[in-house]
Amino acid sequence: MAAWPTVAPGRLRPRPLAALRARLAARTAAWVRRRQGEDALPVDLERRRLYILPTRGGVAFGALVFVMLMAGLNYTNALALFLAFLLAAFGLVVMQQCHRNLLGVSVLDLEAPPVFAGEPGALRVTLGAAAEARPRLEAGLEGPPAACADVGAAGRAVLLLPLAACARGVHALPRVRIATAFPFGLFRAWTWVHVRRERLVYPAPRGRRPPPAAAAPLGGVRAASTAALDEWRGLRPFRHGDSPRQVDWKAYARGAPLLVKEYQPLGSERTWFDFAALAPLGEELRLEQLARWIVDAEAAAATYGLRLPRTEVPGARGPAHRERCLAALARFGTGERP
Amino acid sequence: MAARGDPLPFAPLAWACAALAGGVLLHLDRVPPWAALTCLGLITWRLTLARRGRWLPGGIARALLALGMAGVVLVRFHTLNGLAAGTTLLLLMAALKLLETRQVRDEAVLVGAAFFLLLAACLDRQQLARAPLYLAQGWLCCAALAVLAAPALSVRRALLLAARALLFAAPLALAMFLFFPRMPGSFWAIPRGNVARTGLSDSMTPGGIQQLAVDYDVAFRARFDAAPPPVPALYWRGPVLHDFDGRTWRRADALRPGVPLVFLGTPQRYRVALEPTQRPYWFALDTPAHSPAASVTLTADYQLLSSEPVTEPVAYEAVSYLQTRAGAPLGAGARRQDLALPSGPNPRARALAQELRARAGTDAAFASAALDYLRRGGFSYTLDPQPLGADAVDDLLFRTREGFCGHYASAYVTLMRAAGVPARVVTGYLGGEWNPIGRYFEVRQADAHAWAEVWLEGRGWTRIDPTAVVAPERLTRGMMQLMPQAYPASERLLHGAAWLTVLLQRWDAANAWWSEHVVKFDYSSQLDLLARLGFRTPDASYLGWGFTAALLAWLAFIALGNARLSRSHGDALARAYLRLCRKLARVGPARLPHQGPLAYCESVLAVRPDLRATLEALSQRYAQLRYGPAAGEPRGVAEFVRAVRALRLAA
Repeated sequence: MAAWPTVAPGRLRPRPLAALRARLAARTAAWVRRRQGEDALPVDLERRRLYILPTRGGVAFGALVFVMLMAGLNYTNALALFLAFLLAAFGLVVMQQCHRNLLGVSVLDLEAPPVFAGEPGALRVTLGAAAEARPRLEAGLEGPPAACADVGAAGRAVLLLPLAACARGVHALPRVRIATAFPFGLFRAWTWVHVRRERLVYPAPRGRRPPPAAAAPLGGVRAASTAALDEWRGLRPFRHGDSPRQVDWKAYARGAPLLVKEYQPLGSERTWFDFAALAPLGEELRLEQLARWIVDAEAAAATYGLRLPRTEVPGARGPAHRERCLAALARFGTGERP
Repeated sequence: MAARGDPLPFAPLAWACAALAGGVLLHLDRVPPWAALTCLGLITWRLTLARRGRWLPGGIARALLALGMAGVVLVRFHTLNGLAAGTTLLLLMAALKLLETRQVRDEAVLVGAAFFLLLAACLDRQQLARAPLYLAQGWLCCAALAVLAAPALSVRRALLLAARALLFAAPLALAMFLFFPRMPGSFWAIPRGNVARTGLSDSMTPGGIQQLAVDYDVAFRARFDAAPPPVPALYWRGPVLHDFDGRTWRRADALRPGVPLVFLGTPQRYRVALEPTQRPYWFALDTPAHSPAASVTLTADYQLLSSEPVTEPVAYEAVSYLQTRAGAPLGAGARRQDLALPSGPNPRARALAQELRARAGTDAAFASAALDYLRRGGFSYTLDPQPLGADAVDDLLFRTREGFCGHYASAYVTLMRAAGVPARVVTGYLGGEWNPIGRYFEVRQADAHAWAEVWLEGRGWTRIDPTAVVAPERLTRGMMQLMPQAYPASERLLHGAAWLTVLLQRWDAANAWWSEHVVKFDYSSQLDLLARLGFRTPDASYLGWGFTAALLAWLAFIALGNARLSRSHGDALARAYLRLCRKLARVGPARLPHQGPLAYCESVLAVRPDLRATLEALSQRYAQLRYGPAAGEPRGVAEFVRAVRALRLAA
């Protein structure tokens, strides 16, 4: 964090109130978190967790009604007074309608697909409505609402919130604000959703080192593993002549058809991307180079494996494999095993 | 100095413009035409710009325009304060705001200005006929707010939303209106436009241009407690004119002390609801016994004079006597005042008066001789007389011989004074139209009248109406029947058919009710209301309680609505399934908490194998709707709900 995080470009003096406001916001956030506790998806938005306040326009509307009331009282003008009362009551009705527009909405899902560091990521919020349509539901993070959608009766809508990925690693999802100012925009009702979910941020694929050759000797790790150990390749349907020892009996017991586990000899015709082989580089740079290789290898439809100090992803290919490898990179050094 | 682009969506801008235009239309006949045209023109121009996405004028141009407009208003009105000037200024500034409308917030400011224009209209005029206009404008503004908040709303949807919210708000607004404690008096006063509207003025120039009689507006309404006096006796007393310069009659600058009166006969008690006139005159039946309000004085010549001009409808109770007698002789000062006559003009009239007086023995005989002169002299009644020259009275008596009440009252009083009989001109209204629906008299500006009062020794001030001898039918028939050709064709048409007359009377009765019960609803009306609600000693604290009670009742209503919502928002599918389970539990085992739909179905079928076809279908349908790919599909849910409701299980 910079020392002057609140100084906007072009503004020379730091705002003295900003620090105070930030502290207040942090305390409020902590209080809300304590009050609501952690949420398990799907979350039904019930009354206890909804907050509502007038918007800026609502405050202006209140001032307008107050002026009307004063004018009506001053001139004992019945029509002006009735107008003031009608608009005041209108404000109360609007408050109730706004609250009601959010009440009973369900947050069905909150997830953020993994992204490479530095890429603009997104948080997907899935909202659902029961019997009544809920127009203009907004979702956002700390700032102003980032996305807005209408949810039809018994329907659902997905809102995408921009969630930039700045650093590689495993990041807990931030709290998400679901809000609405519908109808009339005089009030905004909102709630916070806290879920224990995380997002993987892969290292940015960077680096110019050539990938290791497919036939390259695999170094110390190769020596440490036993030569007889073959590498898991996948499952295929049983054919006559297959050894019963190769049948996946556990899967058969779960009701699957007879499948045969296929192995292939370790080290044959594939590349190992090895963290240790990139020794002179710093940790993050090595991870970035590995990511580069993985992305390129996948694009070239090559088979590759990944070797990290305490983890190894055996050689394979395909999108799932790529994700697995990149996830291992993202989790590197976070104290978690893939 | 031009800002490019127009990023605003069109719909909110159009709605904001519509709300503003509605506000302008409410004031169309009150603000100067150039201001209204400027505003409407700018609105049109801005909307065209928004369609084409062209430039807006820059900051300096806008500032100059704003200053220029404020300057023009200042020059035209000599003030920026006051309702008319303030409204004009607000209207122009809102129109200027249009030129810098780039964000939703700017549009919200426009809608706010439209609300303020509505407020100004309410302060300005409160007639029943305008109430629907105000309501429509409020509705339009609220709908505009809805569109500002959700630009994708259709016109219909926005109007519906606003109507719904306003309908929900109406009961609470009504309760607040009834119970919100009013304050007597005001914090500050707004300078109002002092443009006198129609009505009696404080001077009368027979032979000058007269427009009074063709005005068909209601001046006031009067409801008698007991049986009303006959129409020809309804002389409503207004300004009394003493000073005469040979042409124009005026109210006296300094009134001489009057004569105490002895009231005879039965008192007439009645209630007058006076429409605004911008003048300080209140009206009472001849002769009022006392002042009906603290701010109104009963002058020495028995006129009701308020300390403030009547700018809003007022209602008051008055007591009058139709017969009086002087309790004392006329003071010297008053006698001198009511004998004063300029010596130059009208020499022939003065000669005639002296001749008639010489022939008559007494003042009273002279008064009736003068009346006879008018009756027999070939005088006629017309609302469109020839103009009179410098010697107005001579001209009338000896040359034109035609005129209306003002001419004859003026001439008669001149004759009286010329012969040494104190006399004065009284202006006011004569008669009124009986409204059988509201059971009151409508007295209109067209009923304005002028008559003479003559001091006769032994009797005191005596009313003599010279018009009555020239045109006796004026006493019994309204001006409309008497002089239909003086009215515009539209008015004649409206009063031509009987059913239309009834309709008009109904409308006037509604107006009267509105004036009395809505427009004049104040602190004392609130106390009346409390008394009618059964409070023995009504005071302001009860109002507070009433207000709180109404608010609580409304909140309870809202809470009830919410409770219904939370019952209904729980998913219809789940409710239907629970209902199915309750039905099944009556004929078989109850569902255990861990049992899913299919498992529970099996356990029921173990007891009731006969239900297999029905139950399996229902359970599978539920599982599909709940967990399948078409989960929550509305039509399927509705079908399931219907099927469960229709299910009848025999024990």
